[in-house]
Amino acid sequence: MLNEKRCVITGLGLVCAIGNSTDECFASALNGISGIDDAKSFDTTNCYSHKGAEVKLTNAQLADGRYDRTTALGIKAAGEAIKDAGLDLESEDASEIGVLLGSCIAGAACVEKYYNQKAEGGKGDLDDLKSMPASVIAGNVADYYNIGGITANLVNACAAGTLSLSLALDLIRGGKGEIFLAGGCDSFSSLAYSGFHALKALAPSGCSPFNHSDGITLGEGAGVLVVESYEHAVARGAKIYCDVLGSGVSSDAYHITAPRPDGEGQMSVIRRAVENSGLKFSDIDYVNAHGTGTAKNDESEFLSLNTMFKDNNKLYVSSTKSMTGHCLGAAGAIEAVLTVKSLTEGKLPPTTGYSEEDIEALKDKQGGINVIANKPVQKDINYAMSNSFAFGGNNASVVFAKDPNVLNLLCPKQSLYVTGIGLVNGEYDDEKGDYIAQIDTETFKANGIKSAFLRKLDRLSQLQLLSGIRALQDAGLEITDENSGNIGICIGTNDGPMTEIANYQKGIIRDGIENGSAFAFPNTVYNAAGGYLSIATGIKGYNLTIANGFQSGLQSVCAASGAILFGYESIMLASGTDECTDIDDEIYSDLGLTGEGGMKLGEGSVTCVIEKESSAVERNAKRYAKIAGFSSARDTSGDRFNNMRMSKISLTKAINSVLEEGGLKPSDVKCIYGFGNGIGEIDVFEKEVYKEIFGEDIEIKFVKKEHGEARAASASLQFAMLAKDIYEGKAENGIAVSFGTSALYSAVLLTKA
Amino acid sequence: MNTETAEKIKGMLVERLRIPEDELEYDSELFGEDIGLDSIDSIEIIVGIESLFGVDLTGSGATKEDFRSIETLTAFVEAHKEA
Repeated sequence: MLNEKRCVITGLGLVCAIGNSTDECFASALNGISGIDDAKSFDTTNCYSHKGAEVKLTNAQLADGRYDRTTALGIKAAGEAIKDAGLDLESEDASEIGVLLGSCIAGAACVEKYYNQKAEGGKGDLDDLKSMPASVIAGNVADYYNIGGITANLVNACAAGTLSLSLALDLIRGGKGEIFLAGGCDSFSSLAYSGFHALKALAPSGCSPFNHSDGITLGEGAGVLVVESYEHAVARGAKIYCDVLGSGVSSDAYHITAPRPDGEGQMSVIRRAVENSGLKFSDIDYVNAHGTGTAKNDESEFLSLNTMFKDNNKLYVSSTKSMTGHCLGAAGAIEAVLTVKSLTEGKLPPTTGYSEEDIEALKDKQGGINVIANKPVQKDINYAMSNSFAFGGNNASVVFAKDPNVLNLLCPKQSLYVTGIGLVNGEYDDEKGDYIAQIDTETFKANGIKSAFLRKLDRLSQLQLLSGIRALQDAGLEITDENSGNIGICIGTNDGPMTEIANYQKGIIRDGIENGSAFAFPNTVYNAAGGYLSIATGIKGYNLTIANGFQSGLQSVCAASGAILFGYESIMLASGTDECTDIDDEIYSDLGLTGEGGMKLGEGSVTCVIEKESSAVERNAKRYAKIAGFSSARDTSGDRFNNMRMSKISLTKAINSVLEEGGLKPSDVKCIYGFGNGIGEIDVFEKEVYKEIFGEDIEIKFVKKEHGEARAASASLQFAMLAKDIYEGKAENGIAVSFGTSALYSAVLLTKA
Repeated sequence: MNTETAEKIKGMLVERLRIPEDELEYDSELFGEDIGLDSIDSIEIIVGIESLFGVDLTGSGATKEDFRSIETLTAFVEAHKEA
């Protein structure tokens, strides 16, 4: 628990079915105007439901028409937030603004377009192909506005928008930045529509949360909040909406799509957010609920809210999804914007769609909380909470306040160690020409994973599960009821489940949107691998998946370290995972990155256990190395609309930051685990930068020669190999470095434990 | 038991639900410890049976017991086919 640096909200941006700006959306929400209508983005004739909450603007109206719709929505909301916060993008300050965006379905609209073109015998538009992965969203939004701070795409399905706020808090309180655009964006997509249709989770007509609870209605949109340190906001004379006091993140460790019926994960995240904010349950005045409108969600959420707030008889609750629809990765961010407005204006929006009989029935169902039905409530309030619960059993909660509350200065900073390593690497496969990992049922059985569970997992999730289990074993860690809540997971991936996404999309192009597979759909979400790892191991703490280019496997180490230092975990599993399937072969070949003079694809998963000193000492854990510094850096020099650009400025900055944090000079550094992958231009660039910083004699090691370009898994492998080298006395210290899109670099400095 | 129908159902379960073929017997308890199917899988079975045999399990009043194994599913399909 750490709340020693005041964080405030200074700007808001919102676009969704009920309006094209924050003010429009908030006015609609107060007036109970729903954005749910007949879906128009694609043909739903053969589906049992035809409703959607779509944004009325075209891609060209949202941005300049060059982007995937999810990114375009993000650009629109970010633009409003920047203007609202009075940020001058011409000033030097703009180079320090970070962009953290949540998304669930990422470039699904481009996935659909690309595979439709291919199904019709065409080649597929390369711009669509480049826009498909979540990895490019935040970088594209940052590049669009010439904003030069770090980026992250948080891909924890329907909790992603809320998680972005949690990460912003961790980064600011950890001294890794002063100001962030945090939020989420997601477009309407045939993939998600088909998936929820297959799960029979769509409401036949508009959704009716906490009321008829017969399913969700999908929506689209984006919400962006400017989160800033109080000092930074005051120094630039910013208007301050409110404080953002604290947050919570947890895992259910239960089921890949359904919430725990006993609400345990939801309750633990509410408790975390309240405690992290230094508040009591009785302090919270209003909760913007997850409130999807499925029977399972509404039942467990009623239970969680009633249990946690049993001594709070003034609590108001509403689900604005009754008007905005469920905007997936944008939902938490959209609801956070509406929550901030509710708090600061003293007007609480309703849940819409109740008849007189429904209101009578609600009195019996709601217990001790007050669900706001149909009409807004006018009330001066001090503390408001927004909750999100997602596929994969991911829960996130955030608390906004009119005052800074009592700052908690009691959390001492601790040293962090690598205490476990789990490797799943690819070996060269002559036939495929790629580096493929050997994973089979027997290996899983030997590790206690039954085939009844394993069959549900896609390849990416299987790779992740195996490295996770191996890391826990190596660290001598057994997950128990006592420690499960203080152990978390942070996974980095470049491509995520692109194979499952592409295959699902191809399936519905062939068979129709109405014939999607209920079995396959859950694996199309990026955080499925993290969800399965939590289910299989019983880990119930923090759970984040970052999709942000090849460097994601190192950024996961940075985020995991932050979750311990500035959050509340004792131990984090930090992973990098990417698979190599026929779909990946096709994608990278179409992109022209493999073949003659290109890289050789690989796959794998590497998980490292990161542990705080007190925990490692108490367990008498083996310590591979000490994390002496971690940093990410980015800039917009050069052609900023080329998101494949390299940047000497950013790479140098990331390295200098970890040296400064670790108190080392360049001449003290013994070796670098680099990211070179055989693409000449990249290799030459990288070596030049190292030589400039460290001199001619610096030892540079590469892992991709032996295991191929396994993207995020390679970045994690660089980190793990460095830790091993230090443990085995082969190096006194070293830095692992990797690169992502839009000139983002991450570096981690390891020293002797 | 109609083994032709049972084989078709088995093939559907292997393909749609990725159940290892060698672990799936006609009398294996589908929703028990061994195979470990859950509610999402049952949706997939309903769709699979409908597309194979034109039998609507939910509309024809199939109970939990009918979903127990390939044998019980086969019996249900046989009883409701071409009805």
